[in-house]
Amino acid sequence: MAKYLVKRVLMAVVTIFMVALLTFFLMNAVPGNPWLSEKNPPQAVQDQLNEKYGLDQPKPIQFAKYMGNLLQGDLGVSIKVNKNKPVLDIIKEMFPTSATIGALSLGWALVVGVTLGCISAYNRGKWVDSLLRVICTIGISLPSFVVATMLLYVFATSLGWLPPIFDSSLGIKSYLMPCLALGLYPMCYIARQSRTSMLDALGQEYIKTGRAKGLATPAIVFKHALRNALIPVLTYLGPQIAFTLCGGFVAETVFTIPGLGRYFVNAISARDYPVIMGTTIFLAAFIIVMNLIVDLLYKAVDPRINLTKGGD
Amino acid sequence: MNEEKTQTPAHDGPLLEVKDLHVSFFTPAGEVKAVGGISYTLNYGEVMGIVGESGSGKSQEAYSIMGLLQSPGKVTGGSITFEGEDVLAKDKKEMAQFRGSKAAMIFQNPMTSLNPVYTVGNQLVEALRAHDKSIGREEAAKRAMTMLELVGINNVEKRMKQYPHEFSGGMRQRVMIAMGLICSPKLLIADEPTTALDVTIQAQILELMKKLQKKTHMGIIFITHNLGVVAEICDKVSVMYAGKIVEQGLVDDIFYQPSHPYTLGLLRSMPRVDAEEHERLIPIEGTPVDMLNPPEGCPFAPRCESCMKICLQKMPPYVEIGEGHQAACWLRVQERLKKTEGKGESERG
Amino acid sequence: MKNPRFGSLQPDMEDILDWSNYNPGDFQTANADEKENFITERKSVGYWADAWRRLKQNKVAMVAAGLLILIVLFAFLGPVIVPYGYDEFVKGSENMHPWHYSYEDQLKARELMAEASMDPEEAVAKAEAEAEAEGRTLTPRELAVIRAKAKAGQHGEGKLTMEQALQDIGAKAKPFGYSFSELERKANGEKVFPHVFGTDGFGRDIMVRVMVGTRVSLLVGLLAALLVLVVGALYGSISGYCGGRVDAIMQRIVDIIYAMPEVLVILLISVVLNETLLLYADTHQGNLFSTAINALGTKLIAMFIAFGLLYWVTMSRIIRGQIIQLKEQEYVTAAKALGAKGGRIIRSHLLPNCIGQIITTTFLQIPSAIFLESFLSYLGVGVSAPMTSLGSMASDALKGIISYPYRLIFPAVVLSLMILCFNLFGDGLRDALDPRLKK
Repeated sequence: MAKYLVKRVLMAVVTIFMVALLTFFLMNAVPGNPWLSEKNPPQAVQDQLNEKYGLDQPKPIQFAKYMGNLLQGDLGVSIKVNKNKPVLDIIKEMFPTSATIGALSLGWALVVGVTLGCISAYNRGKWVDSLLRVICTIGISLPSFVVATMLLYVFATSLGWLPPIFDSSLGIKSYLMPCLALGLYPMCYIARQSRTSMLDALGQEYIKTGRAKGLATPAIVFKHALRNALIPVLTYLGPQIAFTLCGGFVAETVFTIPGLGRYFVNAISARDYPVIMGTTIFLAAFIIVMNLIVDLLYKAVDPRINLTKGGD
Repeated sequence: MNEEKTQTPAHDGPLLEVKDLHVSFFTPAGEVKAVGGISYTLNYGEVMGIVGESGSGKSQEAYSIMGLLQSPGKVTGGSITFEGEDVLAKDKKEMAQFRGSKAAMIFQNPMTSLNPVYTVGNQLVEALRAHDKSIGREEAAKRAMTMLELVGINNVEKRMKQYPHEFSGGMRQRVMIAMGLICSPKLLIADEPTTALDVTIQAQILELMKKLQKKTHMGIIFITHNLGVVAEICDKVSVMYAGKIVEQGLVDDIFYQPSHPYTLGLLRSMPRVDAEEHERLIPIEGTPVDMLNPPEGCPFAPRCESCMKICLQKMPPYVEIGEGHQAACWLRVQERLKKTEGKGESERG
Repeated sequence: MKNPRFGSLQPDMEDILDWSNYNPGDFQTANADEKENFITERKSVGYWADAWRRLKQNKVAMVAAGLLILIVLFAFLGPVIVPYGYDEFVKGSENMHPWHYSYEDQLKARELMAEASMDPEEAVAKAEAEAEAEGRTLTPRELAVIRAKAKAGQHGEGKLTMEQALQDIGAKAKPFGYSFSELERKANGEKVFPHVFGTDGFGRDIMVRVMVGTRVSLLVGLLAALLVLVVGALYGSISGYCGGRVDAIMQRIVDIIYAMPEVLVILLISVVLNETLLLYADTHQGNLFSTAINALGTKLIAMFIAFGLLYWVTMSRIIRGQIIQLKEQEYVTAAKALGAKGGRIIRSHLLPNCIGQIITTTFLQIPSAIFLESFLSYLGVGVSAPMTSLGSMASDALKGIISYPYRLIFPAVVLSLMILCFNLFGDGLRDALDPRLKK
């Protein structure tokens, strides 16, 4: 177990390093420099700015310096969007909102999705199943910006029930639409997935054994089938955390939420290098940690998984 | 070979009576008559083999006794009586109580028939407590351990806490048997319990079942496609083909006086220790009939060496060959006719 | 020896044991032909025929396929039929709704408005002239009312808008958008193509833009799926087939890519590549690649490259898993024992066995690519102007959502419908190609 953890953490560090390298490479592959994007300042000013932010040094040194600072927890300062504000502070400020919305969305998606999937599987072939399948297929076919803007149009603009602009001081009212928009896709996806895996589990021999033992239906469905059915759902949860966090970009844009996603998109178009680097590395690290947690959960649910052998 | 098995049973008389049982699967392509009217009686403490190739309906027949038929499958006719009670008339709850406590079943593949995510002990205890809530967890665990010991598993205390994947195939089948027997059922249905195992393990499991049967006097229905297994353990045998019992009798009758060409074919395709050196195994040619549109006559007719015209028109009736030995074959009808009415013989010889 | 009892199985033997029940020929041996005729054998159906039969039976999938064909026609034939260009500013047709009022109604409404904005004295004079023609004179009270109305019409508050005027005369909206000048031309007998979905603020026809956007989405989906298939299948089969150290290294790479926040990276890659490609096209004018860049738009190409770099991971995992599973099966061992070479084994034994899953996964890649393209375009890093995309149209529509909600609704509905149809058909395809999954 400990060996496995060490291995996974090492893997995670390598991955983060790769992400950092890739991001750095990509940013510097862009022709020109950050100062060109708005007005075209005189060369002297550009040089001065380059010097100030260390952009005049050779690229490998820039990267090495950045990584060195990173190890000390220093992500640099914003050079464009929020001039001279430490990136870490920006993340600290922005991330909680994004994370709250992401967690709430994924939370309701998971609970409702698994429930619907089980209902659907248990009533296979009946009208309930058909209805749920149609709803869920529609659900995974609606891009999140469509859902978000439609919600905005109906509940905020036309009916005026909910605030069109996110304001955390309004409490639940403000979270309702973003969480609904963000959670719909994973909810439907999870429902479809749990239906399939539930059907799969219900068709297994050990279910027949359970019935032959004389177990009551609830014991069979909830004890024997559900736990096995949850395993494939869990595998999906890891990447879904990433997706929900990044899918938050859209919800954050539509509902004007002061979250990390919206900030990141702005930073990309403004070519605010440290912000892009910092955010990417932070989110990558977050996602990697989440994946690790999911894998450990996986072990808890499925005793067959032998983590020391690599877990595959 | 029967003598050693027979002891005075605790009760006498029929434990299970199946009469004219019909099972159909209603598929989109049409009704598949998996079981087309079979009847037999199993007495207390008796071991009956049901032999047939895959798709002959032998498993479906067993599932209908246990109420385990899967969704498009339905019992469409006939009756199943267990200790005088009509099994088919039971509702879902009564059926759940019946399963496991009065009749238990073990399956072909021990690799998949245990739930991989729960410990063996958990699954054993669960089987016990499903029928008697008054048994405490600890007591149930004790009973489970006794059962495991009974089926020849060592180090039970540790084994109880292990997961199925930590057991070998033979060990898992032992666990399955322990699980089946934990509530001391009167009937055990074993659906090809040795097919998925190695030959050496097969022998061990058969030996175990024989031993346990002697100890507990339960009735066993042993479903298999392997006549060798039947010879090993059964008192009597029903041979099934295409959803029908084509021959039925005591083990000795079936082995020494096979009266249906299909039984004969099965015997000839089975390797024998006492065979002459140059004797070859003879496979049964052809494939089984399409159960979706079963033909009018004898289903085995197209594969039968001695097929007659009438075989293609009518299902043969059962002919009594000896005491408790019956076969459904026109050849036997013809023989009987010749015997009883001598005048027919001269006309059609 | 115990005496086992059997149930009574048979009809009364006495009935049967009577020769008179049988025909003379009954107990003669049947010949092979008779035996042959006996079995009504079902035709054995091949894999593809069977899959096709199952697919045809799946009504939902067939309806989805029909809709998809309609969408394809809409996207590819549509722009040929409609006389407007997707980037054409139709003068005088700005901000049009997808409905219009008839030419007569609009003339009447204009008259009403003109009346309403007349000078009070003029209005009085006009009313008096009308009254005179009818042979009566107006009371001072009536005159006062007319004067007051005209005054209100001239200054602020009471000013009659076009909508109010149309409402006053009881005009009913008719489908499709026409501008007033277009109606005029139509009234003069000219043929004018309507703006079925209305126009945007620049007078661009929304329907054509939706058609072209759909075309972009379809192309992106198709090409991305192919790209994912090629890269994923190659990578997965090599990794799965080689096994051992090669597999271990290749899988670590997959792990790293898998752990990357893909949307972040795609955003980055598309921004970066976009500018690089632009520069390249500028400096290398005339060669094939730069022509391609100019034709497709840099952002689109950047998106493909991002896809090809990141999205094959799932596909490669599926194929690797399949191959490892199949590799352990006897027939492959047998083929190996017979001396078949690696590539041959992959081609003739492994791939035919997972072709169903490959097709399904590839197909379901299409909607997810469309999804991503619209997502990126919505965020403004996807398809670049003047080329349009359903995502960027939806994003543009956000500003005028109160007055012109249909600018969002049309592209959103077409986009969602398209993805839905792909998903439904993909589900059907999976059920048809992989019967194991359906049971």
